[in-house]
Amino acid sequence: MAAVGGGGLPAYALRRLLLAVPVLFGVSVLVFAVLHLAPGDPAAIMLGAQATKEDVERLHRDLGLDQPLVIQYFRWIGQVARGDLGRSIPLGRAVLPEVLLRFKATLVLTTGALSIAVLLGLVAGIVSAVKQYSWLDRLSMGVAVTGVSLPVFWTGIMLIIVFALQLRWFPASGMSSPYGSGVGDVLWHLVLPAVTLGTASAAALARLTRSSVLEIIRQDYVRSARAKGLAERAVIARHVLKNAINPIITVLGVQVGFLLGGAILTETVFSWPGLGSMMVRAIQARDYPLVQGGVLLIATTFVVVNLAVDLLYAIFDPRIRYD
Amino acid sequence: MTIRRTLKIALAILAVALTSGAGAAPPKDAIVIGLLAEPVTMDPPQITDLNSARVTKRIFEGLVAQELGSYKLIPGLARSWDISKDGLTYTFNLRHNVLFHDGTPFNAEAVKFCFERQMNEQGPYYKTGTYPYVKGFLGNVQSIEVVNPLTVQIKLKAPLTPFLQYLAHQSLFLYSPDALKKYGKDMVKNPVGTGPFKLETWEPGVKVVLARNDQYWGGAPKIRQAIYVPIIEAQARLAAIKTGEIDLTVDVPPDSLDSLRKDPNITVAEANSSAVWYVALNTRHPILKDKRVRQAMNLAINKDAIVRDILRGTAIVSTGPMSPVYGPFHEEKTARYPYDPEKAKALLKESGYPNGFEVTFFVPESGSGMQQPVEMGTVIQAQLQAVGIKAKIQTMEWGAYLKKYLDAPDMAEMSWNPSIGDPDHVTYMLLSSDRFPPAFNAGFYQSPRVDELLRKGRTTVGDAERVAIYKEAQRIIADEAPWIFVDHGRQIIIHRKRVQGFKLHPNFDLVLSQVWLQ
Repeated sequence: MAAVGGGGLPAYALRRLLLAVPVLFGVSVLVFAVLHLAPGDPAAIMLGAQATKEDVERLHRDLGLDQPLVIQYFRWIGQVARGDLGRSIPLGRAVLPEVLLRFKATLVLTTGALSIAVLLGLVAGIVSAVKQYSWLDRLSMGVAVTGVSLPVFWTGIMLIIVFALQLRWFPASGMSSPYGSGVGDVLWHLVLPAVTLGTASAAALARLTRSSVLEIIRQDYVRSARAKGLAERAVIARHVLKNAINPIITVLGVQVGFLLGGAILTETVFSWPGLGSMMVRAIQARDYPLVQGGVLLIATTFVVVNLAVDLLYAIFDPRIRYD
Repeated sequence: MTIRRTLKIALAILAVALTSGAGAAPPKDAIVIGLLAEPVTMDPPQITDLNSARVTKRIFEGLVAQELGSYKLIPGLARSWDISKDGLTYTFNLRHNVLFHDGTPFNAEAVKFCFERQMNEQGPYYKTGTYPYVKGFLGNVQSIEVVNPLTVQIKLKAPLTPFLQYLAHQSLFLYSPDALKKYGKDMVKNPVGTGPFKLETWEPGVKVVLARNDQYWGGAPKIRQAIYVPIIEAQARLAAIKTGEIDLTVDVPPDSLDSLRKDPNITVAEANSSAVWYVALNTRHPILKDKRVRQAMNLAINKDAIVRDILRGTAIVSTGPMSPVYGPFHEEKTARYPYDPEKAKALLKESGYPNGFEVTFFVPESGSGMQQPVEMGTVIQAQLQAVGIKAKIQTMEWGAYLKKYLDAPDMAEMSWNPSIGDPDHVTYMLLSSDRFPPAFNAGFYQSPRVDELLRKGRTTVGDAERVAIYKEAQRIIADEAPWIFVDHGRQIIIHRKRVQGFKLHPNFDLVLSQVWLQ
């Protein structure tokens, strides 16, 4: 984690960002190859049964799909280097504004899910650790194991059936009402998808928090803190949590990646207008430019989040220095 | 302490979320429609999918239109037309005083501009899009001439009777040339037509809002706004229509139909469609090339059971490529294949395969119009097994499937929902030997008489003669069984009772001009 070399934090951050370039280049080659080598043809999917041979050939030519793959790749990556992600094949729209727009919705969803994960995960984990082997511990860990094991699409559909169809507390889909607007409206729509997406992460976090806290709670300095008469609450907050937090942050960073992945399913179930639901449609349509642009954006996010996590260590643990 | 504070904030947010939803109710004069996905594009010649068509057909119009509820052609932006005796020259008299939504006039120049944009590869606006169907629909056009501002003449290279129906298809709908010059490639999200509705807003992934065109030449529609929202998950569409969040939707889980029919706030509207679902059989396969084998396969399948138990009555059993919505063109008196495994076995024995044989059977996981491909494939497999035919299923994702489908499979599921109302568009497209792969006659079906009839049908003018042609073709096709004929999907639209005057159209369009809200 702590890197060698001079320059302190800004230089470290800059080095890490530069390192991201080859990573993203690798991602671009990989996603391009996987997409183009997978069977399927955007022209055939668009045209359907009334396609004529001439129309398929012409569409291939107009879309540049008749060129060798290597040429197609360099043409695309050349555009990307100039900040142009191309145009979606069936949508005909420029890819960059499209993915950025969708990314905003995904951020809203993952932020909501992450808040739920952190809130539930930390509370359950700490309570379990402090009251180890109590019924509370068993209950929350039981729930956690179930939460980790439930597939997102199943949880989502169950929540729709119970809370949208039966109880009618929350809407079944979308990010806002067709005829309403405002922050409250978005929050109302956010609850079910965020719970769906956040549950599994909350469960993973709870288990980790529990073991991490349990490890610290047995340390001598915790016993000393208690011995000098500190209230249990202060002991946990000031001495235990502060020391237990680093592994939790690491996992949180990984969870962000997991949430971005899980968002694809959650967004599809709830028709959330984010990157995930757009990507599913783009993959089905073999919309190469749109999928490639979306994957690059997700990869970039992942790199940035990981960097942020590494930088956060220093804030929580002054022993770590980036110099 | 901090935890407690965070909890409090979270509860407050939840409370806001819960209460803010309570007040939301659909406005009185706006209809909210839940589609499976949002439109892909709003540039008419670039549209290839049903969701885009369902929205943009409210914004744009063609020279001719289809009468609501049937494929009968009626005047659209052309008041009348005249077809020369040789079937080569189409003269259209255009409506007077029609304006595009941007205020520019609709006229013969606009017609010429819209069609030539797609046709003329050297033209200045060709690069403003890709035109999937241009060769199919305009490839036979020789020239487009402006006779006077309100008369346009289209000359064909060879007679092609379905051409008039092509003009009712969205890819030949008309848009403002000025708008195209202004928006270029971004025409895809800036539609400017002449139709009863115009685009108000489009929030990608969220909603499309259309507003009433008060200047519409046919009289302004009764509803003020049409709001389209994408709802991908069938359970979510069901929840949204039940709670009144949306007014109208399509494709709810078939299991839920019974409870919807009992719901006092909901109407389930049903009608036949032109869709067809079939299993293409490779007529060049050493065994399947025998007509008796293909007939036996048709007899082995209990199509009634598939329609009743898997599709829950959302389809009717098919006896050929054309469904009853083709009216006079549909032939009732064809060879039939009722479920008769004994007769199937006898036919197999007669053709030299008393112990059956083995074939591969391609099945997509899902796909446009494919209903329940895996469940249906599994039942078909089991029923073929019962007469001794081992069909080995290979399942594929739709994008990959479309490619493999044209790769001469032994047998493969497919469905087709022709967006053109001419019988040619289902028979010739799928069963003429002019349409071997990469076109869609994937089973290489070839019958000299059917080929002759289908070619003649495309060039013959006059319904009476064409009816006879297509009826004979259907009789031969049913007898020769190039497919396992399975079903014609019915269209099922669910709407709230407050939606009045809604009527289904055979090509799955959702027409709103005549709809009002209570």
